[in-house]
Amino acid sequence: MKLRNIFNISLIYSTFHIATPIIYAALCAAITQQANILNVGTEGIMLMGCFVAVAVSYFTGSWILGTLAAMIGGMLIALIMAVGIIRYNADNCAIGMGVNLLATALTKYLLETIFGVSGNFTDPKIISIPKVNIPFIENIPIINDIFNNWYVTEWLVLVLIAVVWFMFYKTVWGLRLRAVGQFEQAAQTAGINVSSMKYQALLIGGLLGGLAGAHLALGYTTLFREGMTSNRGFMGVAAMYFGNANPIFSSIGCLVFGLASAIGNRVQAYGVPSQIVLLIPYVITIVVLVVSLVSKQAAERKKKSSLTNVN
Amino acid sequence: MKDRKVYVVKWVLTVLFALVIGAVLILMIHENPIDAYVALVRGAFGGNLKLGTTLSNFTPLLLTSAAFAIAAKGGAFNVGVEGEVFLGGLAAAYVGIYWTWCPKPLLIVLCFAAAILVSAAWAFIAAFLKVKWGVNEVCVTILMNSVAQYIASYCVSGPMSAGKANSQSPDTLVTLPKIMKPSTLNTGIFIAIVVFILVWFMLQKTTLGYKIRSTGTNPAHAEYAGMKPGRITIIAMMISGALGGIAGCIQVLGAYGYYLDNFATGLGSNGMLIALIARSNFAALPFVSFFVAVLKSGAMGMQQSTGVPKSIVDTLTAVFICVACMEMLFIFKKKKKSGKSEVKQGGES
Repeated sequence: MKLRNIFNISLIYSTFHIATPIIYAALCAAITQQANILNVGTEGIMLMGCFVAVAVSYFTGSWILGTLAAMIGGMLIALIMAVGIIRYNADNCAIGMGVNLLATALTKYLLETIFGVSGNFTDPKIISIPKVNIPFIENIPIINDIFNNWYVTEWLVLVLIAVVWFMFYKTVWGLRLRAVGQFEQAAQTAGINVSSMKYQALLIGGLLGGLAGAHLALGYTTLFREGMTSNRGFMGVAAMYFGNANPIFSSIGCLVFGLASAIGNRVQAYGVPSQIVLLIPYVITIVVLVVSLVSKQAAERKKKSSLTNVN
Repeated sequence: MKDRKVYVVKWVLTVLFALVIGAVLILMIHENPIDAYVALVRGAFGGNLKLGTTLSNFTPLLLTSAAFAIAAKGGAFNVGVEGEVFLGGLAAAYVGIYWTWCPKPLLIVLCFAAAILVSAAWAFIAAFLKVKWGVNEVCVTILMNSVAQYIASYCVSGPMSAGKANSQSPDTLVTLPKIMKPSTLNTGIFIAIVVFILVWFMLQKTTLGYKIRSTGTNPAHAEYAGMKPGRITIIAMMISGALGGIAGCIQVLGAYGYYLDNFATGLGSNGMLIALIARSNFAALPFVSFFVAVLKSGAMGMQQSTGVPKSIVDTLTAVFICVACMEMLFIFKKKKKSGKSEVKQGGES
């Protein structure tokens, strides 16, 4: 086992490449978290996005239409959650797991009835998201390895992190959203329409979650497989916890998972059993989740103790 | 009494709603929904084999749904039952295969003990993290499901492999006797029923049960009354894990006689959805478990005799759960105006 084969320059891109779908998921979870709704349904939203993206791309031959349709598909799943949580007072874990099961079952049903296959669906007619080739950096060794030939949606995620960050912390909308999340009654007293804000948060989250699915099904791979999100939605939620619903820090959390998976994939070539490699990212996610909450609690305790010292 | 009536009415409406959605989905692929539903019922009850399969499906579901429900009563949302079933099954298989020195009746007991221990310990991790640092248990348990599945999968394809084409372990030395052959129904069903009744009794009639229920309803009150809500949540989660382990053990020793890779896929999530539909009400759990078992085994018959794929049933149950957890749905307009808190009571029952 040569360390140079594991830790080399292409590891940087692999890490980012593996992390991207999770970053999208984390953004989806972060938006609703700012309105104090834990988005347990991220997984289902993403999976629906995957299916819709593949189906529309297959029938129309356009990845743009596929991606847009995936966003709408994700939004519809989020709409079920939104109506359940806001209008009909559903428990958000319960309805979240409900939509996850719904997405799993419905995509399976549609896969069987529309395409007549079960399990996997691949076809050359599925048009994938193109890569961005930048010709003038092709001859610069390291930069080329890292930055050339990214998928369009990989560049887009960087833009989205910035946009979501800007929306949260620099716009009136974001201020209202966070007000709703932190103290609902106070926000209501201040004249903010709380349920409207929650609807907006969930639906925008749904758009992003659908995009996560589109990227996973048309960029990251070009196929649909039952349950292909394989808990990436929940990793996104974990990363959201890690970053405390801040898009930038949450994305850094995703990169940690990405790095773990990327290293795992390379170690697999040296005879480490595949199951062990596959479980590494999950374990890392749990560890990161725990560490972030432990440190958060320690910080809070410190805050409290300094308060009492002053008094 | 009135609450119970509301509960039943809501339940019936929910079933109808799910069936209508299912009918629409079936019509979309140009099949006759009534034929499909008839085929579904026939597939679940027609003949010894089919009835046996239904009851055999019912056995683990009763336990996994009780596992989810008891954790919910204790204030935790335990999505990790599936992982507990996997590891419980694996532990039972390990003991059942390799502890050859042990007399057979004792070995069965040891298999169950191993399953309970391992699964309870697995559930303890998530519970401890939740209580100690407030780590969200939904996230942790669902990720731990994947971890458990991969661990078990590694074991039966590596160190514990039987060397067959399927990933499976060698046969266990002891099995639970089968009844109603050729179905996989076995005496595990009696164990499951006894365990279920014991847990129910514990929950309703003992101090621990009372503590669990009060912690789940209102941890602040429980603490005020001198209980330790954190510790009780952990205990509830460990009981939940143990129930998952028993389910795994019954599947391995009873239904299969060896550890089959991925055997528990769906058992945990179906248990969860049963408990969510029944709102963790132990009196309703057996009925809903049976209902879901009928749907699952009937689906196969439906797929064979009509052109409707069996995944429609999963879709139906998922619709079902989404509708069932919307507390205020089907509570009629008149009530809605009379303040939120009242409506909530009517819906929860």
